[in-house]
Amino acid sequence: MRVLRDIVEAFRIALYAMRANKARGALTTLGIIIGIVAVILTMTAANGLQNTFRQSFASVGADVIYVSRMPWVIQGDFFLYRNRPQLDLKMAAELESRLRGKAIVNPTMDTGRDVKYRSETQSGLRIIGTTEKQSLVASAQPEIGRFLNEFDVTYKKNVCVIGTDVRDALFGSANPLNQSINIGRTRFRVIGVMEKQGGSFLGGPNFDRQIYIPITSYVKAFGGQHGRQGVDIAVKAPSKEALEELEFEVMGEMRKIRKLRPTQDDNFSINKLDTLVGAFNNVMGVVLLVGLLVTSISLFVGGVGVMNIMFVSVTERTREIGIRKSIGAKPYSILLQFLFESASICLLGGTIGIVVASILTAVINKVLMPASVSFLILFLAVAVSIAVGVVAGLVPAIRGSRLNPIEALRYE
Amino acid sequence: MTRASEDLRQPDTVAALSLRDVVKTYDMGTIQVQALRGVSLDIARNEYVSIMGPSGSGKSTLMHVIGCLDVPTSGTYTLEGQTVADMSENQLAEIRNEMIGFVFQTFNLIPRVSIFQNVELPMIYAGISRGERRRRATAAIERVGLADRMKHKPNELSGGQRQRVAIARALVCNPSIILADEPTGNLDSKTGAEIMGILDGLHDEGQTIILVTHEDYIAQHARRTIRLRDGVIESDEEVRAS
Repeated sequence: MRVLRDIVEAFRIALYAMRANKARGALTTLGIIIGIVAVILTMTAANGLQNTFRQSFASVGADVIYVSRMPWVIQGDFFLYRNRPQLDLKMAAELESRLRGKAIVNPTMDTGRDVKYRSETQSGLRIIGTTEKQSLVASAQPEIGRFLNEFDVTYKKNVCVIGTDVRDALFGSANPLNQSINIGRTRFRVIGVMEKQGGSFLGGPNFDRQIYIPITSYVKAFGGQHGRQGVDIAVKAPSKEALEELEFEVMGEMRKIRKLRPTQDDNFSINKLDTLVGAFNNVMGVVLLVGLLVTSISLFVGGVGVMNIMFVSVTERTREIGIRKSIGAKPYSILLQFLFESASICLLGGTIGIVVASILTAVINKVLMPASVSFLILFLAVAVSIAVGVVAGLVPAIRGSRLNPIEALRYE
Repeated sequence: MTRASEDLRQPDTVAALSLRDVVKTYDMGTIQVQALRGVSLDIARNEYVSIMGPSGSGKSTLMHVIGCLDVPTSGTYTLEGQTVADMSENQLAEIRNEMIGFVFQTFNLIPRVSIFQNVELPMIYAGISRGERRRRATAAIERVGLADRMKHKPNELSGGQRQRVAIARALVCNPSIILADEPTGNLDSKTGAEIMGILDGLHDEGQTIILVTHEDYIAQHARRTIRLRDGVIESDEEVRAS
């Protein structure tokens, strides 16, 4: 109770002192404001990148595993993977029958081709041969028209569903439905346009610049050694919770399909969104750490400014310290007084910094990427600014509290 | 002021403070300066004592020791039954807070805060509640006749008014002794007389007052005069009523 009252009084005294030296307080506070803004923006930027990443890969699907020849994120020696045999359509069919309807299995093949509509040419679009189950595996649905159906796949129809960026590039504002485009040397009829899926995060795949065609037509048009090469198999779990068990089962079945002996390593990879997220988080962690380290320097400089001003404040008020001691102030009362003063300066700076950073974040959110300031970041910013104040004020405050009252009273 | 009224019932019988063979040596690097060379004296409750002496006589040092701003190098100092030597800095601060009321030549008010807050300050360090502080600070300021200046800052007041504030501040914690160090030194003689009038009044109410001065006519207000020279007591005598 006594301590609480001391703290309240010390805070009041600190506020008076700050009001008395407005210009000096404002300049000192500026250093802290800049430091706090820098730290918050670093964290916000990291948060924004994470959000962008999540949005970009939303269409990959959190409950889908992808069986491929290669892992998405290669760890270690690439040469360990290059001699792996290809996956083919037969394996996809076998996997589907072995899973006995426990999951949706969708094989895909893909390649890059130039696509032409009248005089417009787009080079290097991603052409994906898939089945009607694509729309069950991934969340993206056609925006206009329809997706591929069983009939298209069975009868090797030359029809295609294009991404929004493809539509914009080839057709502009014209209606693409039932128009014919050339993919490579084959003509395909546009039957649908996918809704926007995003992507192209840090040079990653752009899901809006791809074209879906029936996998049978794909084999007919682009070969891929009649479906014996470059097949990826998507397996969608009935729920996100079932994913882990399914992954285990798929791994077992694939080993049987590949006729691997127990001692042999897998010669295929099972990929999922978590693989990407994990790799991304590793990179992001390092970036965030370096960013915080660099921005902490500016906060440190701000803290040094506060320490400097606190030394001035203590020297200036030597006589006041003498007076306070003569009427009964204990060393710790003096210590608290100056600590509160420096903590208040920093808390004020931190608060203004939070406001400024929030405004800047709102601007970033509008023009650059989806970013927001979380409560955790705000709480940290407040805690850090108080801590900087206490640390910066400590040495000057100790010096003030140790002054000899007689000498302090004589000080002019 | 319960303590003051108790004092009135038993004047001159209880020692407020006593010094025995107090020596104070200052270590000035190569040489040592003996400011007090064995001072012994007793001051009873409700006494009105002046300490006189030329500069360098050790009267400032004696005041610092009595005011618990400093501790003797050797000898004992007892204040209200408590031995001051060997006290920690915190204990000394408590003694200053509860038992001593300082009135300085240069007033020593805190410039940035109001008269009321200046007077309130010792009670903040004493841990007295807000309401009680308000009541006692107001009473003390009224006692020195500055009720209408409570919200003013010290630099808006005349020297005499500032010294009244200092007296009010010295009074609020009901000290055992009021220690006035040249209280009129920075004032003209008329204002100085007013300040001495207030101190006289406090003595009449039972307050123990120690006055450090080098002016004879100021010392005349006290009932007893102690003269220091070269760190020892030269004389200690009653002042004849003038």
